[in-house]
Amino acid sequence: MSFLAPIFLVGLAAVAVPILVHLIQRERRTVVEFPSLMFVRRIPYESSERRRIHNWPLLLLRLAALAAIVTAFARPFATVDPVAAAVTGDREVVVLLDRSASMGYGDRWSRAQAEARRVIDGLDTGDRATLVLFDDTPEETVRATADHGTLRAAVDNAAVSSGATRFAPALRLAQSRLATSGGARQDVFLITDFQRSGWARQEDVQWPEGATFTPIAIADEATESVAATGVVLEREAFSGAERVTVTAALANRGNSAVSRLDVALEIDGRVVERRDVDIAPESTTAVSFEPVTVSESNVQAVIRAGTDKLPQDNAFYFVLSPSRPVSVLVVQGDETPAAAGRFLSTALDLGREPAFRSEIVSSARLTPAQLEGRSVVVVNDAALGSAAAALLTSFVERGGGLFLVLGDRSPAGADWPLLPGALSAPVDRLAVRGGSFGYVDYSHPALDEFRDPRNGSLTGMRFLRYRGLRPTADDRVLARFDDGAAAMVERRVGSGRVIAFASTLDGTWNDVPRHAMYLPLVHEVTAYLAQYEVPAAWQTVGRMFDVSSPVSALVRDGQLGADGVRGVRGVVLTPSGRQLTIGDGGAESFALAEQGFYSVRLAGTGSRRPYVVAVNLSPEESDLTAMTPDAFLATMSGSGRSVATTREIEPLTPAEMEKRQSVWWFLLVAGLIALLAEAALSNRLSRRVVPSPTAR
Amino acid sequence: MDTHLVPGARFVDPKVLARVKDLELLAKTVVDGVINGLHRAPHFGASVDFAEHRGYVAGDDIRRVDWRLYARTDRYFIKQYEADTNANLAILLDVSKSMAFASQGVSKLEYAKFLAACLAYLSHRQRDRVGITTFDEAIVTHVPPSAKHFNVLLHTLDRAVAEKPGRLLANLDLLAERFRRRSIVVLISDLYEEPDRLIDAIKPYSFGGNDVVVFHVLDPAEIAFPYDEPSRFVDLESGDEVPVVPERFAEQYRQMVQEHIAALRARCTDARIDYALIETSTPLDQALFDYLGHRERLMRVR
Repeated sequence: MSFLAPIFLVGLAAVAVPILVHLIQRERRTVVEFPSLMFVRRIPYESSERRRIHNWPLLLLRLAALAAIVTAFARPFATVDPVAAAVTGDREVVVLLDRSASMGYGDRWSRAQAEARRVIDGLDTGDRATLVLFDDTPEETVRATADHGTLRAAVDNAAVSSGATRFAPALRLAQSRLATSGGARQDVFLITDFQRSGWARQEDVQWPEGATFTPIAIADEATESVAATGVVLEREAFSGAERVTVTAALANRGNSAVSRLDVALEIDGRVVERRDVDIAPESTTAVSFEPVTVSESNVQAVIRAGTDKLPQDNAFYFVLSPSRPVSVLVVQGDETPAAAGRFLSTALDLGREPAFRSEIVSSARLTPAQLEGRSVVVVNDAALGSAAAALLTSFVERGGGLFLVLGDRSPAGADWPLLPGALSAPVDRLAVRGGSFGYVDYSHPALDEFRDPRNGSLTGMRFLRYRGLRPTADDRVLARFDDGAAAMVERRVGSGRVIAFASTLDGTWNDVPRHAMYLPLVHEVTAYLAQYEVPAAWQTVGRMFDVSSPVSALVRDGQLGADGVRGVRGVVLTPSGRQLTIGDGGAESFALAEQGFYSVRLAGTGSRRPYVVAVNLSPEESDLTAMTPDAFLATMSGSGRSVATTREIEPLTPAEMEKRQSVWWFLLVAGLIALLAEAALSNRLSRRVVPSPTAR
Repeated sequence: MDTHLVPGARFVDPKVLARVKDLELLAKTVVDGVINGLHRAPHFGASVDFAEHRGYVAGDDIRRVDWRLYARTDRYFIKQYEADTNANLAILLDVSKSMAFASQGVSKLEYAKFLAACLAYLSHRQRDRVGITTFDEAIVTHVPPSAKHFNVLLHTLDRAVAEKPGRLLANLDLLAERFRRRSIVVLISDLYEEPDRLIDAIKPYSFGGNDVVVFHVLDPAEIAFPYDEPSRFVDLESGDEVPVVPERFAEQYRQMVQEHIAALRARCTDARIDYALIETSTPLDQALFDYLGHRERLMRVR
């Protein structure tokens, strides 16, 4: 506190006046004429009485009035530093509390909660605080409240999640909260272990001017951390069944070696095999288990690798299911030699991921039953009757794939709607020793594998003859011959896909079957037509899960009717035991927020095993390497200080500070009010005094 | 007129009496009221007992001739009774400045004047001789008792003012010499003297067969001491000032005043002196009524 005109403080001596008035003047003012002091003189007079204050309220009012008025003339003002002077008033506080899986290491979470409570306890009455719990996504648990009890309760009820650490979304949420609050004083507290993997340097966070950012580090030296980071499943057929060899990947992120680590493989809750593993510090290793026979789908399997201070990453969850081969029906004309389809069926039978199961059938004997359970039909240079064409049209519209291999027998001028484009007479390129692919659309999923030249080139194939094919505007040309003629054309029909190949695959019109790229080409195109997706044995926390995946799988397996795609209903049981409803107003996709197994049970699947989704921690969450708060601040704002103030504030002169605060005005008003109160009170007291007797 | 309804009497507020400027009218009003309230007419200072015989002179009422004595002596004698002896009523009125004190409407001096007028009227009504002496630091006025001095007495009362300090004891000593004839001596004062010394000064009055009555007139404030503000108290007579804090002082003062009154009452009783304490807030007729009733009962005992 300073004064602009301290000389006026001399006037404070005037406060002695009311005291003297109370002690002296008041007694002298009242004179009582009394008949005789005969008795009065006999009573000893206590001089101390003279010094007693007789009316404290009156005296205090007078003192307050004088002091306020004198102080007002001295023009007081508070001298604070420019930053504090610029930000007076209640604070807007955002508490960012990291609840990612890494906070479960040791006692980090309890310490983080204690720090959050300490911040909340430090708030003043008028301060408003927002509590944000964050992992990979921020959650505004309590929004801008001055109710500190609610904040404390929210901190107490918070728990460590399975999510990965991502600072940027939480910081941006805090940034937007402060930007919309408009408060004069803004504070952000970040309580976290500063896991390095959660911060990307390119993240751009701009704090409001004057905001204070205070990092509170919870991290400690993570001396032990072993994590199961993944599994590799190798499948092999054995005695008509499929056996899977599980190889677990383990990482030791601690700085000391781990010996005889107990690694167990659990299947359906039972330990089927244990291995002891030694892992050097800051290194990884793999451990393989004996092959296990997988006879049914959705078998729950877990790799457990010892125990340490972060138990969440010691387990790795995955699902074992027998591989489902893509069923392919090769349709040939009656007059087509059986050898014509040999290249094709052989190529399909060699497929592993996915595996293909092919069957050759005559176009004349094509029945609906033969299409049941098929994923792809290959019409290998055959003419189709109207009945067969109708069957295939229906098949494609329901989601099936059709591969049209065009040759001599393919009918020209057919009005078959599945044919992508108009077919014309064969083009003979013998004179120029054959043509080749002049253009390949590598952006197409079926040809994406061939984008990398190291995977081989399709342009080495030689085509001596091919059918002319003029695609329509709605069709997509996947490849053209070097003369510009369409070589591969795709058409979408209903839910299905049709690809026409303008030459044969039996080695008569080209050398494609003998080319190294033949197998991958057939596999990729067939898998694309089958809409094949590599079944994921596990997912990562934070992903969204679409229910259509298990539904499609069940439909393909014949466990669910084709109508199941529409109007799907069911229940999802989360690892923590919560139930989520699918369909009937519930969501058709849900976030995988917990580590463990999600069981998806759909209506109409009976007592079969539920569809299971295994969910694991994000691999980087196991990396407990931490940043220092200073390094974090430096990368965030370019400043290593805990106070991130970007605004340049000019220091104020005393006169400016006094003018801004204008305390004198309030003091003057207070003094006048005190004087008015004093007048009212003293008048009232005067009326109460007994009138003095008079002598006559 | 503001009155107090008491069975048998109508008492008049002293403040109302103060508005009656004519002291005779005032005294008549009050005394008539008092007499009406008593069971029989009072004989203030008189006796109906046989006193002596005297020879008949022309003009005497022949009904008062003692015929039994005439039968024995063959001479006419008239029976004389106590009442027949006209008494002197001598009023000693303290007009010192302390008597000017008034916490309410009537000062002590005014009240004393009313009282003196009433007593004089009562005596004059029964043809006693009345006189008055006023004094402060010295004797101010001396009206010897006489049957003709009633009006002079009233005039003296009317002019009496309290303006000088008083010397009660000295004046009493001085005046004692003047009452050789048997009289009823009435002292009206606030009696700010030591009880022992005061009684010593009054006693000589009773030695000569005088009937001494002391009216102790005090203002209510002198007894109750109703002050609560720290003040400077000024002696009305001496002008001395004393700071007083009533919070602790009042209770002691009240106790001392009561002790003073009790001492005066006891000393007077011992000396066969009638003592009456009268507060100026008490209706005059009520005070007179109470006193006369008390005196009547006392006379019967004597």
